Amino acid sequence: MFRFFKYLFLFPLFVFCQEKATTSLYPDFVGDIEFNKELDDQNFELCFDKHIYQYFNDSTGFQYEGEKLAVENEFSKEYKSNYIANETGLVRVNFVINCKGQTDRFRLIGMDENYNEKEFDKSITEQLLRITKSLKGWKGKKLKDNKIDYYQYLIFKIENGQLKEILP
Amino acid sequence: MFPFLAFAQPNCNAYLYKGDTLQYKACNLIEKADQYYQFQREFQEVFDEAIKIAPNFAYAYREKSTAYLKSGDFLTWKKLIDKAVDLDYVQNLPYRAWCRYQFFKDYKGAINDIEKLDSLANYDIGYSINGDYHLNIVKGICYSVLNQKQKAIKIFETQLNLKEYSAGLYDYYQLGVTYFEIKDYKNALKSFEKQTQRNDIAENAYYKSKIYKLLKKDADYKKNKEIALKLYGENKKLYDPYTYHTNTVYYSTIVSE
Repeated sequence: MFRFFKYLFLFPLFVFCQEKATTSLYPDFVGDIEFNKELDDQNFELCFDKHIYQYFNDSTGFQYEGEKLAVENEFSKEYKSNYIANETGLVRVNFVINCKGQTDRFRLIGMDENYNEKEFDKSITEQLLRITKSLKGWKGKKLKDNKIDYYQYLIFKIENGQLKEILP
Repeated sequence: MFPFLAFAQPNCNAYLYKGDTLQYKACNLIEKADQYYQFQREFQEVFDEAIKIAPNFAYAYREKSTAYLKSGDFLTWKKLIDKAVDLDYVQNLPYRAWCRYQFFKDYKGAINDIEKLDSLANYDIGYSINGDYHLNIVKGICYSVLNQKQKAIKIFETQLNLKEYSAGLYDYYQLGVTYFEIKDYKNALKSFEKQTQRNDIAENAYYKSKIYKLLKKDADYKKNKEIALKLYGENKKLYDPYTYHTNTVYYSTIVSE
C-alpha cells in the first residue's frame, strides 16, 4: 500500500479535495493556487473543477509544442538580459494550464544563491511574467481518457540579471 | 550496507533497538500517511504530528520536503531538506545533492554536497535517487556544465575505470559530450560508441552524426542522423518525468543538423 502511494506521481490521482472544517497550515494539496479576483482572469475556465493535477502526474512531463526548446527560443527572443549586479538566483513562475492548453493563475517566487527568499528587480520579474503569460504552445493533458487541468512551473536561473537557464 | 538506498520507510524497530522510543513512536505513527498522496494536506499533517513526538525524526522532514521539491518551491524544500540533512546526513545528504542538481541545476551546491559526503563517508557514496547516475558522475556533469571540462573528464574516467563499477544508463554519453565540447572528437566517438553498445539513445546518435559531419564523412553523418531520428521516434532518449537531463537534444535540433 505504501509503495503505491509513493509512486502516485505516475498515476491518476483519485483522491480529490474534501471539505475540511478545521483550519490547517496547508492547502488541500501542496502548491494549490486559489483563484484571486485581483490577479486572475475571471473568464479562465477549468475543465475539471475538483482537482488540478501536477504536470508530471501523467508521466509525460513537460508538454509544449516544439518541446522546451520552443520556450527557450521564445525567451531568448523576448527577454532583454541587462546586467544588474547581484540580481542572481532563481525565479519560479507557477501557473495553471487547463485542458485546452490555456493558462492563468500565475504566481512568482524568488530565491538568492543560498535559497533565501529574494525579491528580484521588477525589470526582471515583469519580463519573466509577461513572456510566460504570452506562451501559447502548452498542450492539454489527459489521464485515463479524461481531460485534466494541471500545474506547470518554469524556473529561471538568473545571474546578474542575465537569463542563463530555464527549468524544469 | 548502501546508505543511499533511502526513501524506503524506516524500520521502526531499529529505533527501538537503539533505545529511542520517541522516534520509534513517531515512526509507527507515519504508517497513517500511507493512505495519502505526498501532496495532500493530510500527508503533511501526519508528518507534523510525528515531528511533534520526535523533533529529531529526520525522515519526516525529508518526506515533507518532496512535494515542495516536485512543485518547484525551492524555498520550502530547502528548509525542510536542510533539517533532514542536519539530523541524518548519511540518509539525506546524497539525496539533497542530487535534488539540487536535478531540480534546480544548482551545480555548485550539488558539487559541495557530493564533496562533503565524500569527505565524511568511508563507503561508496552511491547513486541518484532515480538510479540514473552515480553521484560521482553527477559531480562530473556539474563540473562539465561549469566549464571545467578536464576536471569533469577526469572524474568520469576515474569512476568508469573502477573495477567494481558498472557504467550507468547515460555515463558514456555525458563523457562523450564533454569530449565533444573540447573538440576531442576521437575520444568523443569512442565514448559515444560505448554508449551505443550499452544503451543507445537518440542524443548519442545525434552527436555521432555531428562529429561525422565535422569530419566530412557524409555517409556516416547521414546514417547516424537517421538513427537519431529513428530512436527519437521510438522514444529512446534521455528521459525523466520531472526535469530535462543535461545535454538533452530536441527533435527539431536533430532534424536541422
